[in-house]
Amino acid sequence: MKLKQSVLLLAVLGLAVGAAYASDPKIEALARSCNSCHGLNGVSAGPSMPSIGGQSEAYLKNIMLQWKSGKRYSATMGRHFKGYSDEELAGLAAYFSQLPWTPVVQHADAKVLAHGKEATDRCETCHGATGGKPDDAETPRLNGQWAHYLALELEKYRNGEVAMTHKKMRKNAQKLEAADVPAVAHFYAAQPE
Amino acid sequence: MNSFNRRNFIKAAIAAAPASAFLTLPQTAHAGKKASVVVVGGGYGGATAAKYLKLMDPALDVTLVERNPIYTSCPLSNEVISGHGKIEDLQIGYDGLKKRGINVLFDDATGIDAAKKTVSLKGGKTLNYDALVVSPGVDFNYTAVEGYSEALANSSHPHAWKAGAQTLALKKKLEGMQDGQTFVLSVPKGPFRCPPGPYERASQVASYFKHHGMNKCKVIIADANDSFSKKGLFEQAWARQYPGMIEWVSGANGGQVVKFDAASNTASSDFNAYKGDVVNIIPPHHAGAIAKHAGLTNDKGWCPVDMLTMESTLHKDVYVVGDACVHGDLPVYAAPKSAHSAATQAKVAVGAIIAKLHGLPAPEPFFVNTCYSITAPGWGFSVVHVYRVKDGKLVYIKEAGGISPVKMASEEQLVLQRKLEAEYAIGWLKNIMADAFA
Repeated sequence: MKLKQSVLLLAVLGLAVGAAYASDPKIEALARSCNSCHGLNGVSAGPSMPSIGGQSEAYLKNIMLQWKSGKRYSATMGRHFKGYSDEELAGLAAYFSQLPWTPVVQHADAKVLAHGKEATDRCETCHGATGGKPDDAETPRLNGQWAHYLALELEKYRNGEVAMTHKKMRKNAQKLEAADVPAVAHFYAAQPE
Repeated sequence: MNSFNRRNFIKAAIAAAPASAFLTLPQTAHAGKKASVVVVGGGYGGATAAKYLKLMDPALDVTLVERNPIYTSCPLSNEVISGHGKIEDLQIGYDGLKKRGINVLFDDATGIDAAKKTVSLKGGKTLNYDALVVSPGVDFNYTAVEGYSEALANSSHPHAWKAGAQTLALKKKLEGMQDGQTFVLSVPKGPFRCPPGPYERASQVASYFKHHGMNKCKVIIADANDSFSKKGLFEQAWARQYPGMIEWVSGANGGQVVKFDAASNTASSDFNAYKGDVVNIIPPHHAGAIAKHAGLTNDKGWCPVDMLTMESTLHKDVYVVGDACVHGDLPVYAAPKSAHSAATQAKVAVGAIIAKLHGLPAPEPFFVNTCYSITAPGWGFSVVHVYRVKDGKLVYIKEAGGISPVKMASEEQLVLQRKLEAEYAIGWLKNIMADAFA
């Protein structure tokens, strides 16, 4: 295989040379099993399950390691990740981060969207005005994420009884009124970018 | 392309299923002719296998043989019986797979000749294969319960252990019940499809009673087994949601039903008689009939496979996935017959088949299972299993997996945990259906 051709083929395969997963093809076999709950290419088809393809590597790695150690509360994922090495989780983070972020734009009532826009004032500094351009690499994208999932995550932050590690996020989620929660979720879910 | 690079390239492509959808792999082992893979059975296992075969190696000729043009998911079908879910949400056709270039034949596989590598169909066709995936699900051993029969199952006494018409028939029977009446559910000795399924069904029946103010109704579970999947979680839910309504009788206490009298609606074990207003017999089962016919089953009626590849230990180039297979010597409840297991097994088989067709060693397999149960709206829990290869053998990772916590530090935490998993169960279903059929 000529070098040029092989680079081209690797590019088509989505294998950025040098990334953790490319040096270990096993990572992609592991990633295939994630599709059962998170969809092909990490684009979820189920409203309570998040899309993960195209989230940042730092965010994915951070959250998976915290679930594995139990530092951060999860209902289900922690039990999975205790069966993976830290290196494998880092590889999965790298793999899913290089897939395109594919917003699943969900339409909502104009009134709900206006309410959501207002209520997300406090979110803008970190998540950007529409959730698509987060301020730093550790902050997840929210645009076109499933509204139902977003509302459930907010409920975790607002619960106060389970370990949610991000203090700023916890504080802001708890400052929302109960009626703001679905509006915030629908607002981000409706944003294409 | 020299041989070293070609091998590495295919290795990478085998590992990179989603992204490789646009590539055609070099067909080294079958120069001049497309390799053919036939998949028998279009449930979660078979549909996932067909889809991923085509995704990972678009040059393959993939044919899926399935009896029914519409598939009905067993997971979440107990919620249809109670009225909390709709059967339409569990149904999907095969257009998604057809659009991916898979040849879908609505026919019945009547014979497999593993020596000639052919599958014969009821419609008259004979298919040749280089590799065969058999995902036939289960069939029932009606004779194990004297007096019960397939004819009764299809008319007055549905088992509803395959989702579809019988699910709706059982729902109708439940809807005909009055307050104060009894629902008897008989559970066969394991292994059976969906280990927590009977106990979820009992919960959903109780949920129907409670929802309709029929608080004097009872559910009796006559069980051939002495324990069950997620027992602590179910018992906690029953005590909270349906106190006094659900009674579980273990095998040791005479729970194993061996006889049924349809006229008096009585199921009997060697010790007890259970008379119900509705009696739901789940007969013992075994691998789907075609597996036995093809000589793929052991003396217990299940298909032994090499778990590293899912290849049958009885016939070469035949891979068995889903409820029909047994996982070597792993214990029954460590290798559950679930949709998630079937999907994960299908992906392992696909990796092994494509590698073999290209003359490469099988990639390292990885198995995971997630299985949710819902006992009432907003009250769900799960069991997780993770299996890895260690020293060339597949092992269950004890540090991972396990059931949802039974006790948590506060009531608020527990309620949140159960609510999240009830919601995740529904999201899981949408995703696993899409991953197999879309």
